[in-house]
Amino acid sequence: MSKVKTTVIGSYPVDFDNLEFFKNYSNQNLTSWKNYINVAVDDMIKAGIDIVSDGQTRDPFVNIFLRKLKGCRIRERPEIIDKIKYKESITVEDIKYVRSIIPKKHGLVGLIAGPHTLTCSCVDMFYNDEKELAFDFAQALNFEIKKLVKYVDIVSVDEPFYSISMPDYAKELMKTVLDGVSCTKRLHVCGDVTKKISNLLDLPFDILSHEFKAKPKLFDSFKEYNVTKNICLGCVRSDDVRVETKDEIKDHIQKGINVFDNKIVQLSPDCGLRMLPQKVAFEKLKNLVKACREVYG
Amino acid sequence: MFSFTKEQKIFEISGVKIGGQPGNLPTVLFGGFFFKGEPYFDTAKQQIKDMYILSNKTGNPVIPDFFIKKEENLEKIIEFIIKEIPKNKPFSVDIIEPDLKIKTLEILSNKNLLKRTVYNSIHIGTTNEERQTLKKHIPEMAIVVAFNPKDKSPDGKIEVLENSAHLLDKGLLDIVKEVGVKKILIDTAALAPGNYSGAAIAAIPVIKEEYGYPTGCAIHNVVEKSSWLKNFEDSRGIVDVASNINIPVFGGDFAIFGPVERANQVFPIVAWEDILISEYTENYFGITPDNFHPRRKFFE
Repeated sequence: MSKVKTTVIGSYPVDFDNLEFFKNYSNQNLTSWKNYINVAVDDMIKAGIDIVSDGQTRDPFVNIFLRKLKGCRIRERPEIIDKIKYKESITVEDIKYVRSIIPKKHGLVGLIAGPHTLTCSCVDMFYNDEKELAFDFAQALNFEIKKLVKYVDIVSVDEPFYSISMPDYAKELMKTVLDGVSCTKRLHVCGDVTKKISNLLDLPFDILSHEFKAKPKLFDSFKEYNVTKNICLGCVRSDDVRVETKDEIKDHIQKGINVFDNKIVQLSPDCGLRMLPQKVAFEKLKNLVKACREVYG
Repeated sequence: MFSFTKEQKIFEISGVKIGGQPGNLPTVLFGGFFFKGEPYFDTAKQQIKDMYILSNKTGNPVIPDFFIKKEENLEKIIEFIIKEIPKNKPFSVDIIEPDLKIKTLEILSNKNLLKRTVYNSIHIGTTNEERQTLKKHIPEMAIVVAFNPKDKSPDGKIEVLENSAHLLDKGLLDIVKEVGVKKILIDTAALAPGNYSGAAIAAIPVIKEEYGYPTGCAIHNVVEKSSWLKNFEDSRGIVDVASNINIPVFGGDFAIFGPVERANQVFPIVAWEDILISEYTENYFGITPDNFHPRRKFFE
């Protein structure tokens, strides 16, 4: 098997049965999310994705974390109302479930919303100090990752806000998040990171993941640097319902190879797929897998 | 005891007033009928009469809550309501299936009963078709169930009222506005034990302080699912009845109780709690009890 793996960034679209949720409540049965996780994971497996995720079906990815951390409350914009503390597993139970249902040949990625993104997503009514808040998030996330690594092959930290702002303490922040974590570590930053590349290359991750399909100018920008890290190449758009053909994806991979050569270790969509119709998301994944097999065998 | 800083709304339906500051109005009791699906009209007829007698005795208003689970029973239950519920009193229809809710609204409209109807309920499972029908046939009052499958905490209940936890195109409160229901009650969605059931009680003061809407829940459902109580079989009924006082203790306005066979215990225990709360809130916050409050009934 090729050392280049197909994978996902995180989320996958599913349709919820709200009436079923309510009927379960009405019958005083516990709410189960397994059906929705099954839909997402089944599609990834059927498409042939090597390293799957839990699909992040519960919520927008930031809310998945903020909902379960002490000190946050969910409002139209989440609010920080107390000191951030880790009080319970956030994604671990879902990940354990996914591990139990996927064939052994498939890998599993554990997904973490980054501390800077969490900080920027909230209205701070407690700290009045962005850095202190970010480090408390980082500490809490570290607890989650340490639990998560028992069940996953890699962890991926998602920091979309790095494309807009990157604090000067970003490296220390990520060291806190990843302290004591020995598995493969990926950083995903979507958006235009052309001006942030040198900083990104300095962060303590093994793999950098970016949306090369929507932002092809990233290829030229990365050429300017000695890229020492491995690359997860975004190959299909997550914000466009048009399904890229296999040949189009192969051409794109070739562009990536021209820049990164054997540093490419993963092929993925540009970002999470939750905003796409499920059928479109599935077709994109299928074509991504076909293209990968033809390029890398 | 406490009083809310947010102005508390009081809504009235066919002479029954619900809401306000703790100690002002008595707790309104919704007694559930036909929960298992099959109507038992003869027994229900007497139970309804008994509940009105209890209500007159304690001062706690009663609203009979009719579960309608099968279409074949719909017309029969509506005819029963017309015949057995006095024309100046409200009632509630408690239905889950959207198609049946739509048919019920149409029949209630045809029979000019919507002014006395508490619609139970609007929630995340409310369909677009149901919303369109509600716009045409607007019930006088609706219960909004703040059940959030993503988050059982009080904050999760606020979230579903505000934006339906993004499971619908808008929040439940906006849906109520859209369909034109003016008088709403918030049900804080009591959940099975082990599934954050205490949040339904904790959410009562949170929601009243946030919105000022009349708030309550069917806390007795939690007792029904407390399987550990099987070890205390003699006490199960007592716990079920007593669970209802959580509503006034936490500042709530209505309790949906069941089975109605326990009405003769539920009314006095809730009235007893209402009296205690009224004494305190009048002394401390200057909240005077309504003329029909249990405290007026028994102490003046």
